[in-house]
Amino acid sequence: MLGTLIGVLPGIGPVATIAMLLPVTFTLPPISALIMLAGIFYGAQYGGSTTAILLNIPGESSSVVTVLDGYQMARQGRAGPALGIAAIGSFVAGSVATVIIALFAPPLVEFALKFNAPEYFSLMVLGLVAAVVLARGPLIKAIAMVVLGLLLGVVGIDVNSGVARFSFGIPELSDGIGFVSVAMGIFGFAEIIANLELKRRREIFTNVVTNLLPTRQDLKDCAGAITRGTLLGSALGILPGGGAVLASFAAYTLEKKVSKNAANFGKGAIQGVAAPESANNAGAQTSFIPMLTLGIPSNAVMALMIGALMIHGIAPGPQVMTERPQLFWGMIASMWVGNLVLVILNLPLIGIWIKLLNVPYRLLYPSIVLFCGIGIYSVQNNPFDVLLTALFGLFGYVCVKLECEPAPLILGFILGPLMEENLRRAMLLSRGDPSVFLQRPISLAMLVIAALLLVIIAAPAVLSKREEGARLE
Amino acid sequence: MTVANGKDFWAGLMFIGFGLGFVVVAITNYAMGTAASMGPAYFPTVLGGLLAALGAITLVRAFVSDIRQSLNVFPFRSLFIAGAAISGAIAYFCADWLKGMGPAGSIAPQASAVLAVFLFIAAWGERSLFLVLSATVAFGYLLRPLGLVIATAVLVFVSAYGGHEFRVKEVTILFAMLAVFSALVFVWGLTLPIPLWPG
Repeated sequence: MLGTLIGVLPGIGPVATIAMLLPVTFTLPPISALIMLAGIFYGAQYGGSTTAILLNIPGESSSVVTVLDGYQMARQGRAGPALGIAAIGSFVAGSVATVIIALFAPPLVEFALKFNAPEYFSLMVLGLVAAVVLARGPLIKAIAMVVLGLLLGVVGIDVNSGVARFSFGIPELSDGIGFVSVAMGIFGFAEIIANLELKRRREIFTNVVTNLLPTRQDLKDCAGAITRGTLLGSALGILPGGGAVLASFAAYTLEKKVSKNAANFGKGAIQGVAAPESANNAGAQTSFIPMLTLGIPSNAVMALMIGALMIHGIAPGPQVMTERPQLFWGMIASMWVGNLVLVILNLPLIGIWIKLLNVPYRLLYPSIVLFCGIGIYSVQNNPFDVLLTALFGLFGYVCVKLECEPAPLILGFILGPLMEENLRRAMLLSRGDPSVFLQRPISLAMLVIAALLLVIIAAPAVLSKREEGARLE
Repeated sequence: MTVANGKDFWAGLMFIGFGLGFVVVAITNYAMGTAASMGPAYFPTVLGGLLAALGAITLVRAFVSDIRQSLNVFPFRSLFIAGAAISGAIAYFCADWLKGMGPAGSIAPQASAVLAVFLFIAAWGERSLFLVLSATVAFGYLLRPLGLVIATAVLVFVSAYGGHEFRVKEVTILFAMLAVFSALVFVWGLTLPIPLWPG
């Protein structure tokens, strides 16, 4: 609910939403907190498609392709069916993805429990490399952002020696840089300020939403699109760095290829809404798999989830399922319930969301800034956290201007301490011999895949295509 | 030699700066250790070096890139940065000396630090950036001494002034609504330890 509320606000994506609402969840027990965050995530995901269809503004990056046909449908007076099919597609995809998680997670956990320090280190290297490779924008800057994130994660007391590193005598920094400050600053504040610089004209189709239910013919047309979108989305969601964005783009392309009347795409084809919406929901959900089983975030949203878990004192990793089965299964059950609630609540409430869209941004953003301010302050009742958040907001803004994607930074920030810990342990066990990472088969395999990914992506053809894509956006 | 891609130029410099910064601080302050038993400086030094190297590559690419982008990414004001550095240095290095000079001296380092932060944010030359962020910082530090209502007033009015349109009447109504709402939800509802009024 809360998620849709915020997701529907244009320009605030799921990452920013979760970052802003993190402090709210600290008062809850871990299970409720995590379920709430997951709920916010789905809600924001869904809210994003509402603005895509009605405003021609994708609420977040995974609904970018929904804009293409969704907005055209709205212009033809079919905003209702477009919203309806987005909800139905998301629900079907969510249900299937939940089953996939329940099936695949336990064997993966069993496999992961055999991991030792070297395997974990290599897994994190692979995770970070894959996240960078699949992200958008210039490759070298993305890698640099990961490394910078790892370094920022290292700030604070070193567990092995007790030395407060990079704290410059500031007592607040010896506990490390607050995760909430980094997330809220880089994703929340930077986004608000970037939005303030854009002055967009909005053309809102608020009156045309009359009949939400798609016709029987629409449903028949979309069945295939939803199925393909779901399967493709589920598969891509598991990949590190993939998740919802990649899934929705891939599904749209696939649908355009298999469709008999491809010419209709971009002119209001209902399949062009159904496929990416199913795919992004499926992908969003299956991206929980690496997070829940391995403790490795595959994208920025999962990094925030892991951060929330750690604040609640739960070390993410395969042991979560064995030691806290109620958390693990509760989370999976909540996914399906969450999807159901979204459909039941959101379809009737769409009128209210639309009214919210009419609130001008000039009144909205001071309110968001205020709630962020109170939120960060209340984490530790310390104004220093607010200052730190503002500085990270500044940093995030500079990054946006310099075309440095901030998502890899937050992945690095989360994994920094874990990576150092496992590297140290592995090197201690091998007595300083770095070849330990190559002697163990699982570790070797992961490093080889990571190296291959880097080589492939560094190939000139792929590289130029990437930068072209970045420029188009 | 001219810079082709201004954004890459600055990004490269930023990465080199951060990378070398981490390396220098780590090497001069913490123990390096050996590969078998790494000291607290080991991991940051390796990563800092890597970051500086990546920054150097980005910097070189900025000269040979076929993307043309101006160096003026920001309406940057270097005087402000200099001012921020000076007042920051005063706050950091002269704190003990100033404290010995009586009651006015003990406020001076704090005031100096605050000035440094505001100047640093203002140096980027973007109006909305400066107003929104400094409103937030001010809010954080005013919350305890002046209470929620006044801090909210500062935050709402200053940050709203950072937008394109500013209508006093509209923002006053917004402030009143937000103040009542946050008093009800955060102070009475969630019982956060935040005072409502100065005192």
